[in-house]
Amino acid sequence: MRLNPAHIVTVNDSSEETLRELIAALEVSTDFEHLIYRESELDAVWSIAGFALRDEPNAIRRDAIARLRDTAHVAHDLVADRRPREAADKLKSLL
Amino acid sequence: MLSKIENDLLTHTNSGTGAGEYFRRFWIPALLASEVPTPDCPPVQIRLLGDDLVAFRDTHGRVGLMEEFCPHRRASLFWGRNEECGLRCVYHGWKFDVTGACVDMPNEPPEYGFENKIRITAYPTREYGGLIWAYLGPPDKTPELPKLEFARVPDSHRYVSKRVQESNYLQAIEGGVDSSHSNFLHANVDAFRVTDSYVAKVKSSPNLRAKYHLLDKAPRFTVKKTDYGLVIAVRRNAEEDTYYWRMTQFLLPSYTIIPYQKGNSIHGHCWVPRDDETCWVWTFTWNPDEPLSQEDRDAIANETFVHAKVEPVTLRPLRNKSNNYGIDRELQRTTTMTGIHGFASQDQAIQESMGAIVDRTQERLGTSDTAIIATRRLLLQEIHALQQGNEPRAAHNGDAYWVRSCSLVLNRQIEFDLGAREFMIAEV
Repeated sequence: MRLNPAHIVTVNDSSEETLRELIAALEVSTDFEHLIYRESELDAVWSIAGFALRDEPNAIRRDAIARLRDTAHVAHDLVADRRPREAADKLKSLL
Repeated sequence: MLSKIENDLLTHTNSGTGAGEYFRRFWIPALLASEVPTPDCPPVQIRLLGDDLVAFRDTHGRVGLMEEFCPHRRASLFWGRNEECGLRCVYHGWKFDVTGACVDMPNEPPEYGFENKIRITAYPTREYGGLIWAYLGPPDKTPELPKLEFARVPDSHRYVSKRVQESNYLQAIEGGVDSSHSNFLHANVDAFRVTDSYVAKVKSSPNLRAKYHLLDKAPRFTVKKTDYGLVIAVRRNAEEDTYYWRMTQFLLPSYTIIPYQKGNSIHGHCWVPRDDETCWVWTFTWNPDEPLSQEDRDAIANETFVHAKVEPVTLRPLRNKSNNYGIDRELQRTTTMTGIHGFASQDQAIQESMGAIVDRTQERLGTSDTAIIATRRLLLQEIHALQQGNEPRAAHNGDAYWVRSCSLVLNRQIEFDLGAREFMIAEV
């Protein structure tokens, strides 16, 4: 079923499943409203990753979380620049 | 989050800046008409968009708005004499009319005709809806006045107040579009804790907001771009087959209308940059059908809702940072979330606490911040468009402002923009 870009994806974590949902939403987003929702979702991922990074003692996991946070930041700015497909590609690089 | 460049672009409003030039394409509220009530009354100082200005009403009732400082020796014209169709500097007697023309220069020999060569920067004004509006932009881009409902009701149906807030305008707007804060900042402790007594009280209440906010604390946000700006729709579960919707408008460049329930009065705000670190908070209350009720007048007098009393000279609210906004810690412990009296002071306290200009590179947003994100993006798009030579369309479409907020219960199968369409049109 085609994902409705007018619906906001619930972002409770930064799991692979959540990222796949965000990618799917990014790939069908075209309008101003859609991009606002995508930006808010990526803001949430970036925030969650930032908090996780602060609390993660394991160096290897820290690197992975930092990469996730930084990629979410780049994807966020691409959405702000109205380039959602490129943002989706960035997130795909994390999978 | 925003980049530093974006944050600076949105929050800096002096002449020549992105947001500053954008605001200068609109008529903006400058003064209450009552601040310059009669011909030849005392002049008034006002800072707008970083410019220090002086306003006066001349002998014929025309309102002049001009730079504050006399071009001769830079003395303040606030100390001037408002006399015989002009404002005269009391230092050496130079006198200017409402257009900024120098009409008398008694300390120079008349044969020099020096006064004919001197002008002071003056801006056009309009009197409308109990306010003096100013246009600080290029003369050939003069916009239309916004057809706002509050401005078109009889004086007895309207109350307008104005106060200074010690923060950048943008974080104040963000408070206006962020409906989720009202469940916390403006709530009482019983509502926040969902006590049995509170549930019993609101379940039978005609106040839809109190009732449905309690039943669904995780609302869904929808934003739609419009001719005037944005409509922000917030959906909560109501009954089994219905949703409770609250629609807020954000109207360019800086107005919001609080969701309105039929039968009550309507409230709205406009935030005008005073400079980068302070703004004017304009608050409007109006009833489209009849004079304001005693209940409205009591809320205004007691500062319980959106209006706050101010110091008469500075227009700073009486509850302010210097007195901790009158916080009552015992009240906070037992009764309200903040312990601060009135919605206006609660908003002011929290928005000023964020610093003069919020560092938006450091914030942590989530999906409940959709309306804030949409407002910023819209303003950024508008500013960028202007920088590329595209004038703001809303500024030249006053009719687009003929809207009203609403809150209502709709069947779950009905989209809000269809179900609420007839309620979102002003009626006066």
